[in-house]
Amino acid sequence: MINTFKAKLALSSLLISASLFAQTGKLQEEKELEVVDFKSIKKVLQQDGLMESSKRKAKQVEILKKEQGKIETGRFYYPNESELWGFVSEYWLVKNAQILNWDFEKPDYGLEKSFRSTMENMGFYQKKFKILLLNTPSIVKASLPGDNEMIFLLSVPFIRSLDLSKLEISLLLFEEFVRLELGYFKKNVATEKMMKLAGTNFQGQKPDISMVEELLKKYGQQIQQKGYTFQQQFEVTKKMDAYLKSNPALWNAYFMLQGKIDKFIKVNVQYKDYVKLYPSPEMQGKWLSPAEKVL
Amino acid sequence: MWWLLLLPTLVLADTVATDEKVLGVYYFTPMFGHVHQSSVGTSASLTTIQCSHPVKVIESSKVSVGAEWAYVQVADYRGFLLKQFLSEKRPDCFQGKYPKFFDAFNLDLAELYYWGRLNDQYIQGETRVK
Repeated sequence: MINTFKAKLALSSLLISASLFAQTGKLQEEKELEVVDFKSIKKVLQQDGLMESSKRKAKQVEILKKEQGKIETGRFYYPNESELWGFVSEYWLVKNAQILNWDFEKPDYGLEKSFRSTMENMGFYQKKFKILLLNTPSIVKASLPGDNEMIFLLSVPFIRSLDLSKLEISLLLFEEFVRLELGYFKKNVATEKMMKLAGTNFQGQKPDISMVEELLKKYGQQIQQKGYTFQQQFEVTKKMDAYLKSNPALWNAYFMLQGKIDKFIKVNVQYKDYVKLYPSPEMQGKWLSPAEKVL
Repeated sequence: MWWLLLLPTLVLADTVATDEKVLGVYYFTPMFGHVHQSSVGTSASLTTIQCSHPVKVIESSKVSVGAEWAYVQVADYRGFLLKQFLSEKRPDCFQGKYPKFFDAFNLDLAELYYWGRLNDQYIQGETRVK
């Protein structure tokens, strides 16, 4: 009896499934699968424009991520060479503020106007410069490279002791400009490490500031102890000669200035190191003098 | 008659309101600098500011300023800054361009102070364009 009932039940369920299959042509499981299958709603999404908007959003996210990455990487760059010279020059001035004694009250000597006019007379345009007056006789003059500008140091006790005129001061500064243009300071001070690292990226590492420490040390040596060679000084003087030749008044003033400095430093112990750093006003006078004719 | 006591306050409030004018917000351009107590480069420093710091430039009939100087307000301080150090646009600062490199030096207060003074002490110029 039970067996007959089971057989009837199986047959009826088979008939029900068959009748449903005959109606839709798809199984219930298939229909259920279709509900979770993305492909089945793809057409609907496309019609609504949702696909496009999701693609656009994905692109935007990608672009933003790239930009964010660029910004983050950009935070880890060493300055380029020009910016690095400017930074180190000023950092050296800051670190040596007490020795150089540049933070003092001084009268307006009108140097900006007179030096600018000398430079323009010589045909140098669009040149940015900074002059820092020092209240010490220990450093007479120096020129440091800046970021697309020049930084000149000049001792006030020196210019006062020599009673230099504005023109003579401008010529001293112009000589420093020529020295900087010839690239002797950078040549004497630059390090391999600096040339290698300038403008590169250090993401994932600590910045190597020993590069700057080395440069600061070399700045001090160059400005206070080493100075320039005879050959370098000769080249500077010859360049000055060439620039000033077209203006006899300036050439004469420069020639007389060398004699004035030569006499002054020979009798003033305070300035005995001047010749070591800038050899030498006496020789410069000779280099400037026209060659004597041998009859 | 009690309101007579309030009169000076009202008059003062009116003067402050009409005498002063904010000319605009400008940005400091050198790496570091000082807001000065008076319009002289060697005068005392009220506060040290760094590149890109916004400052309010004020015009006041009570404060006479030389042509080269601006009367400014920075936070709670009112003092003087050289006009050549101010820009209407936010400048491209060294410390902003290279923040990780710059931070590595960890400058102390004395260095910040002297860097600011350095910009006051420079005699700056540029030869003209041909």
